Amino acid sequence: METFVQSIVSGLLTGSLYAMIGVGLTVIFGVMRIINMAHGDMVMFGMYGAFLSITFLKIDPFLSIVLWIPIAFFIGVFIYRFLLKNIVPGGELNTLLYTAGLSLFIANLVLLIATGDYRTIKLKYAIMPLRPFGIALPIPLTIAFGMAILITVALYWFLVRTDTGRAIRATSQEPEAAALMGVNVDRTAIITFALGTALACSAGVLLAPSLYLYPTVGEILVAKCFVIVVLGGLGSVPGAIAGGLLLGVVESLGAVYVSVPYKDAIGFVIFLLVLLFRPSGLFGVGKS
Amino acid sequence: MRKIIVALAILLLFAAPWIVSAPFFVHLMIMVLMWTVLGASWNILGGFTGQVSFGHATFLGAGAYTTMILYLKLGIAPWYGIPIGGLVAALIALPIGFICFRLRGPYFALSTLAVAEIIRLVALNWESFTNGPVGLLITTLPDVTFRGESIDWENKIPFYYIIAVIALASIVATYIMSRTRLGAYSLAIREDIDSAEAIGINTVQTRVAALSLSAFFAGVAGGFYAMYFRYIDPDAVFSIALSVEMVFIAVVGGLTTVAGPLIGAIVLVTFGETFRQIFLVGHLIFYGLMMMIVIRYLPEGIWGKLRRWFVARE
Repeated sequence: METFVQSIVSGLLTGSLYAMIGVGLTVIFGVMRIINMAHGDMVMFGMYGAFLSITFLKIDPFLSIVLWIPIAFFIGVFIYRFLLKNIVPGGELNTLLYTAGLSLFIANLVLLIATGDYRTIKLKYAIMPLRPFGIALPIPLTIAFGMAILITVALYWFLVRTDTGRAIRATSQEPEAAALMGVNVDRTAIITFALGTALACSAGVLLAPSLYLYPTVGEILVAKCFVIVVLGGLGSVPGAIAGGLLLGVVESLGAVYVSVPYKDAIGFVIFLLVLLFRPSGLFGVGKS
Repeated sequence: MRKIIVALAILLLFAAPWIVSAPFFVHLMIMVLMWTVLGASWNILGGFTGQVSFGHATFLGAGAYTTMILYLKLGIAPWYGIPIGGLVAALIALPIGFICFRLRGPYFALSTLAVAEIIRLVALNWESFTNGPVGLLITTLPDVTFRGESIDWENKIPFYYIIAVIALASIVATYIMSRTRLGAYSLAIREDIDSAEAIGINTVQTRVAALSLSAFFAGVAGGFYAMYFRYIDPDAVFSIALSVEMVFIAVVGGLTTVAGPLIGAIVLVTFGETFRQIFLVGHLIFYGLMMMIVIRYLPEGIWGKLRRWFVARE
């Protein structure tokens, strides 16, 4: 019983970060129909950002997020405005291939600069896990979990309560109707892409103390990310949150009850089953 | 005119090792031709039927493991193992095709990525069969005599001729495909799958046939990979990066064209391998850059554009 609770809890901790990455991908897909293969590299960016902050600026990774969110936002604006904007009208497959190129470019650029060495971030306060009720909570992951919830709630509030947020949701539902209602679709697209990038990047900052850093980490993350958004239904924010938490829990239960080596495969098997039998996601809210 | 150019190209293909024989150049040419086969393989599916696969490493890996395991466990020489590897890859493609072709466009692409990752994880963990992450190693290749002389496997030139024949076969297969019913059906599917279905084309069968043919060549290239490098492990032959590289070669060269994969391989692999000699890592940076430039400015690919230019001049 204790192992069961323990694996659910650690699954939720990791899942909260998966959810954040997934939400970023899903809003980008919802508004622009971009399947962003470079999304994982934005997470990698954040991870290296956290690494740079602690090694060179001596800033705690979790504090450095204040610095990296705006930087990632501007990187997102830049990527969309100068690289992606002209590709998007070419269709989903073109953007898929283009962002795959972008992803390879970014990953290899970082590989050249930072080399392929595996790096870790060591935090002074992260020696022993907390143990409330006998359940082990690794400190960095717990802080990350708290901050992920804060950021996701803030984003949700932004999407539901502000005018820009409403514009994003409207464009995602029906771009032409939104344009007719006076929504500046271009500006909304830029903001959405930047927002998605900032989310991925901040998830990277939060994940950095709990994972190994290497330049091609984005490859596996983006694959997981697709699992998450397809589980929840492409384009749906609550779906991505649920999908992220679900994948986290499934992986950690799988590692305990099925086998550690196959834990990553479980996600992909579920992914295929969902794609084949429930293409609009487990909750039936996505768009195909 | 065209026939002369083709004849000259084939002559050059077989005479190349005499013209430049420095080991690095022979290695480079072997890599270019191996990637030509892989690009041609991807082009048969992605170029003709328009189905973007991000999981072609599966077939390369299947071919590589088949060749390796047949040789190490049953003593079957790689030159039989390579075509058998191709056939095994083509067989594996059948169930994958019937499952994944239920999905369209980007969803198909994502499903192939998932299948490839599942198969990589299986290869990584099924240790009794694949030797897991340790990989498989060949120390010596069996003796063969050719015209009374025994072939020296420490030299790269025999490998060059083997891959030259395979590359030629893959290009000829693309050419034949472009002239047959399978090719015409595939193009119809690429342009508009619903209309293709409406005029009576069995779209699932056609796509599965194209995938199988495509997988065969990827498998053959995989078998060659195993024999040439004499070492494989799941992360080397089943990786996402390999699948993505195949896509890039085909797209940068020019989709649906016969010579596109060769041009793509010449441009990308030459740069990539040279870059690797100098910097050791990050040789794919140019792949990413070229992909972005091609999609943005040359949607027909380098060869597609050049060909148009030649036709306009004639």
